[in-house]
Amino acid sequence: MYQPDPGGRSAPAFVQSAPQITAHPLRFTGSGGEYFRVWIVNVLLGIVTLGFYTPWARRRTAQYFYGHTMVADSPLEFTAPQGKMVKGFVMLVLLTLAYQIAVRTGQDTAVSLFLLGGALLAPLIWGSAMRFRLSATRWRGLRLQFTAGWGEVYKASWPVFAIALVWIVAVLGLQALAPEPLPSASGRKIPQVTAPMWALAALAVVLTVLCIIRLEYNYKSLLVLRGQVGVEPGRWKPVYMDFVKVWLATVGFFIVCVAVVGALLAALLGGSFALLASQSRQLGLWLFVLIVAGFFLLIALLFLISAPARAYREARMFHLMWSNIGVSHVARFKCKLRTRGYVLLRVKNLLLTVLTLGFYRPFARVSEYRMKVDSVTLHIKGSVDQLAGQLARQQQGGLGDALADAAGLDLIG
Amino acid sequence: MLVPGRWFDGLSSKPRPVLVGLRPGPGGPALAVHPLAQPATPPLELSHAQVGWPEAWNARRPPPRVVVDLRGHGSLEIDAVADWQAALAAAGGRASLAERMQTRWGVLLAVLAVSIVGLVLFYRYGTPWMAAQLTRHVPVAWEAAIADNALRQMDDGMLKPSKLPPERQAALRARFDALARQVPPALQRYPGYAPRLTLAFRSGLGANAFALPGGAIVMTDALAEEAAAHKLGDDALVGVLAHEIGHVVHRHTTRMVVEQGVLNVGLGLALGDVSGVVSTGSTLLTGLAYQRNHEREADCFAIALMAHGQLPTQPMADLLLAISRDSRKEGEAGKDAKEEKAEKAHGPLWSLLSSHPDTEARARELKQGHAPHCPRQP
Repeated sequence: MYQPDPGGRSAPAFVQSAPQITAHPLRFTGSGGEYFRVWIVNVLLGIVTLGFYTPWARRRTAQYFYGHTMVADSPLEFTAPQGKMVKGFVMLVLLTLAYQIAVRTGQDTAVSLFLLGGALLAPLIWGSAMRFRLSATRWRGLRLQFTAGWGEVYKASWPVFAIALVWIVAVLGLQALAPEPLPSASGRKIPQVTAPMWALAALAVVLTVLCIIRLEYNYKSLLVLRGQVGVEPGRWKPVYMDFVKVWLATVGFFIVCVAVVGALLAALLGGSFALLASQSRQLGLWLFVLIVAGFFLLIALLFLISAPARAYREARMFHLMWSNIGVSHVARFKCKLRTRGYVLLRVKNLLLTVLTLGFYRPFARVSEYRMKVDSVTLHIKGSVDQLAGQLARQQQGGLGDALADAAGLDLIG
Repeated sequence: MLVPGRWFDGLSSKPRPVLVGLRPGPGGPALAVHPLAQPATPPLELSHAQVGWPEAWNARRPPPRVVVDLRGHGSLEIDAVADWQAALAAAGGRASLAERMQTRWGVLLAVLAVSIVGLVLFYRYGTPWMAAQLTRHVPVAWEAAIADNALRQMDDGMLKPSKLPPERQAALRARFDALARQVPPALQRYPGYAPRLTLAFRSGLGANAFALPGGAIVMTDALAEEAAAHKLGDDALVGVLAHEIGHVVHRHTTRMVVEQGVLNVGLGLALGDVSGVVSTGSTLLTGLAYQRNHEREADCFAIALMAHGQLPTQPMADLLLAISRDSRKEGEAGKDAKEEKAEKAHGPLWSLLSSHPDTEARARELKQGHAPHCPRQP
């Protein structure tokens, strides 16, 4: 029953001076139906335990996805100790409760302390979550590691503080630029907005977006450069402008989406709006209800319209990352994810998820994950047997992981 | 039975061919790893607790390869998944509940049934009971501080000072104070809870009265005018005030905070993974059900308090019906017959979406002076 590892065949003695490069396409061997079972079990046990099954559910989900992700024919392993995940989760629940009590009882000082603390500790939380997650990932017995020190993490977080500074300056500038408010007929003073004020606000928004892109770049590059497989550090090629280009293309794509959907909606609803306007005199109170409903509809619509653009950004970013990273001089990744195919898949999944009130989500998740994993090929110089490991201690930091999860930084993705 | 495998010791990505033995041990199967290259060396023995056992995800389609987590000793890759699972079962391996739900439909359906029953019982009885118990420990001073803050915010917003003549206010306040003094010990939900009951007048909202935690009750001018317009005496207003005192005595606002907290956390965590619509929807519906229960409790309190003071509840019922009739007339201006028919057809569904129980049923119960859901008075 035992077979020699397929990676082993490429290292006969005579080619040791010029090791051969072998391509290993990544494969996902799970299925939507199977993951639906995993998910529905998690949901049910979550209901029975009033939500306290969450850390177990997260571990099962991660183990399902990792265990079915084949890298050079060996599955990934998710080895986070359950105890630490539970401890982190309980601490998160206690923190949330304390915050909720503070908000509901109007203790403003406590609330602002919470928010300020959260903002200052955010880089620390991110770093600790990444340490926890990487050290919980194992492949062929080798643990991944995140070796960045806290100083490096805070240094990489400078755009966060730059954003705060930009807005402090912008608010002060707006106050300085604002002319004396003119008294209106009713005696109330109406503040005026001048062209320089608009320009300043626009500048602040652009700088903020640039900072957000820089933050994403800094964090991703730090994660790869300070990440290790065994003792081999990661390799990182993208530059900041690559990220800016992806974001610009995303904005362009979003504008096209809005224009197309807007034109369609105008054609569809133009008639009914005219009808509505002619009757608005008799509507009275109902007009107000309609406006409120329209507002919520607009938010839902914005969510739907932005979905293709979000998928577009994700696909482009995934392609950029996985075509340009590697592991020291041993391995390179190549990605051939097709942006169009991924955007179409995401739109289809979103529609089916909405139609099924969320019950299609497990199938959606598997199909998106499969498309991403199957698009990546690992090129290894020499044999997969050559990597050395070190017995790294399991990292602390269950709380950081739970907080990052609550903030939407998913384990799988 | 020995299963072939590859052992990665964590120091290199090079595997060692091994044979894996499983035998029954304390707590579950124990594992022994026999390296094939050095048959003379003693095997690595690990107890059940020292191993992270992989879950069998699918009874019919085993994965191509499983990995066993040996913690500090690295990991073990096994290709013969069927043999591994057979050896595990032979060594007395028992699947966890999650794993049995995962691989057997029967277990999944049984847990589904249990969870539906459990969920209904918990949210129907458990949460309100827990909220009532927790509320015991909330100090009155805290409630009063929150109420002051809330009233100040409303005064800056929708509420305006009352335009009722001072003598009329004084007369109503005298009735209110008399009523507040009369609350018999039997009606006290929380022994020892004695908030200072005060009545304040405001205008700016429709015909309404509301209770703030800690004893402040606010009545709008429109309510007094509504009673006067329908030639209903002050007993109608006193009945409404008795209902509001009921909210204070039962500490409904504080209990609602606890109940909403449990709902947000519990249902949010449990159903949040399905979708925001499902979790928010169920939180909203359950929250409204609690609110309707609070209204019923306050009605029962009003009935009992009015009976204690030998006051009629009929005028209060009439006032309630009059208010609902008037507001319906206002709303009808923009509604056509079709919509109204749809609303009638959806009767039971609409009642789930309302914060108060059906007005006509409430009025009928108030009129009769007893309701089926009220506790029997001693």
